[in-house]
Amino acid sequence: MPLYRFPFRAMASPCALAIVAPDADTARCAADAAIAEIARIEAKYSRYRDDSVTTAINRAAGGAAVAIDAETDALLDYAHRCHELSAGAFDLTSGVLRHAWDFRRVPPRLPQRDALAAALDLIGWGRVERGPPSVPARASPPAASGIGATAPPASGTAIGAGAGWVRLPRAGMEIDFGGIGKEYAADRAAARMEELGARHGLVNLGGDVRVIGPHPDGTAWTIGVQDPRGMGGAAVAALPVPAGAMATSGDYERYFERDGRRYCHLLDPRSGWPVAHWRSVSVVAPLCVLAGACATIAMLKPVGEAIAFLRGEGLRYLGIDAAGELHTDRTTPP
Amino acid sequence: MAATERTLLAAALALPGMLPAGAAAQAMPEGGLFSAKYLYYRDWQPGANRMTVEAPSFYVLAPFAQSWTVEGSLTFDAVSGASPLYFNVLSGASGEGIHDFRKAGDLKFSKYFDRWIVGAGAVISSEDDYLSRGGVFDLRWFTEDRNTTLAFSFGGAADVINSTNGIAENERRNTVEFLFGITQALSPTAIIQSNLTYSYGHGYFNDPYKSFDTRPDYRRITAWLTRYNQFFPTLDATLKVGYRYLDDSFGANSNMVEAAWVQPLPSGFTVTPNLRYLSQDAAWFYFNPPFPSGRVPDQPYTTDTRLSAFGAVTAGLLVAKALPDGWTVDLKYEFYRQKSAWKLGGDGSPGLLPFSANWIQAGVAKAF
Repeated sequence: MPLYRFPFRAMASPCALAIVAPDADTARCAADAAIAEIARIEAKYSRYRDDSVTTAINRAAGGAAVAIDAETDALLDYAHRCHELSAGAFDLTSGVLRHAWDFRRVPPRLPQRDALAAALDLIGWGRVERGPPSVPARASPPAASGIGATAPPASGTAIGAGAGWVRLPRAGMEIDFGGIGKEYAADRAAARMEELGARHGLVNLGGDVRVIGPHPDGTAWTIGVQDPRGMGGAAVAALPVPAGAMATSGDYERYFERDGRRYCHLLDPRSGWPVAHWRSVSVVAPLCVLAGACATIAMLKPVGEAIAFLRGEGLRYLGIDAAGELHTDRTTPP
Repeated sequence: MAATERTLLAAALALPGMLPAGAAAQAMPEGGLFSAKYLYYRDWQPGANRMTVEAPSFYVLAPFAQSWTVEGSLTFDAVSGASPLYFNVLSGASGEGIHDFRKAGDLKFSKYFDRWIVGAGAVISSEDDYLSRGGVFDLRWFTEDRNTTLAFSFGGAADVINSTNGIAENERRNTVEFLFGITQALSPTAIIQSNLTYSYGHGYFNDPYKSFDTRPDYRRITAWLTRYNQFFPTLDATLKVGYRYLDDSFGANSNMVEAAWVQPLPSGFTVTPNLRYLSQDAAWFYFNPPFPSGRVPDQPYTTDTRLSAFGAVTAGLLVAKALPDGWTVDLKYEFYRQKSAWKLGGDGSPGLLPFSANWIQAGVAKAF
């Protein structure tokens, strides 16, 4: 059976689907369903869209609780586990740091001390209030605006069927699904194509790859790891991935250099400063959401701790540390 | 649950839509499998070749109608040789050699539901002097995160024995067996399984080819088997260990431990060395040589070495290679050695020669 490729753009990234199908129509049908699913998730969780769930939650920060549906509740649950298991390194509320760090500014400059302190003050997954439908939240100071945090929303801010509610306690706090949204979309898209009969293929959302199944002859897909200092997306290594997913987190997507030091866009939510342990970490896991979260968490940890964490999760990985040294679980070089 | 506390995989799997709708598609084999194997078995004691078995077998598993599978196997054994010697004094083969041919087949249907698998099957095995017919019903249930599986099965068999020497004529034996098992994923790399099996058989248990062999007319066996598999990502290898305690109303209680190391290598090779140790008590009606000392007419009596007290070690190696297009070939060698002195505590049945056996099995399989 032939392999069909469908390149497209989503979530501000180049994306592609690869599907082995008996004919072009079958492949097209599966691809359309997958792309529709990705578009749905992007629309629902993009912080750039006025009508997204993320925007609704952020807009209500410091005010009323926002009712959320089961899907959003599940994503927040997952983010919560990531936060717990990374000792706070993974934090859905850390996006506000980008107000202090402007990676697009020319010439670049380091953040103002008080701007950074103000941003750090708005970070803290632990302070986010959540609850099931119609169960009052734990005691918390009454909010300045109308509905107190002690009552779930009655109307107005409700989004979808009530599976619970979430409230950001301070005005200016923000959440975003940057660390898991794209990976979640890759997993959902792969599951959608599998439901439509696809058995061999993959979903690639800007380098977050979820495999549907191996090549028809059973051989694994070979997924390249981008050279974090290479030009034009050259691969520094490749890993065979017969099933599951691979995601990479790196310091090279957005950064600036100043006084000979590289400041990358991956910021530690605890210090507010860019991390400098790794150039990139690629993780192979059964699901893309898992690979993505673990790659992000590993990036935020020193080399030894990151490796111990990935081993503890039982995952395959390939990391390139700040000195350019390769670290991998593979006994043979990739 | 340990998995949800220590690792993220369970949390990730709890997200909606991670798996295709209808988890049936997840648990169920997506393709079929055909395999053909050829087994060569030979056992011996010092100075004597005993028995050889050559057994080709075939196995097919095929999914059909969305959520069903059918699987079946056929085995043909050609057996030649004598039944095991039991005396330390070799006095030539014990009577006439056995030449036999066995055909066995089974067929099983399974239906996959969201959180359940229900299966039912039939088994038949026939030899010149023996016919066994049985059935099995099993039920498996998964938790929503699939970290825990409970299994329950019930089986029964009805056997008819007609020995070629005329000792057993239309003798019958009926057996029922229950199994309860639990499998728990402890982490993405560790899994533990524990199975409790109880079987009760009633009827003819004697060996009609052995003089004076008289056994109780019922046998109750309770076996508790626990297995643990640990995957080591850095080595890409899996360690499998297991322990079984078996309680037998015949008195042949035993302890068994085993370990295997599954090591994938480059170019599609996998090698699996394995080691097993068994220590067994003698049946309460087993009598040490010389034959037939200690026998009281009409009281249970046997000299069958399989019911003596012994220790046994099996060492084996399986080499498999994956080929393109879903083909796999494998070759397995196992060596078995049984000695009285190897029993735990060393107090095995006296007067027995060590017993050795070899298995060589070659197989080819195709996934489709």
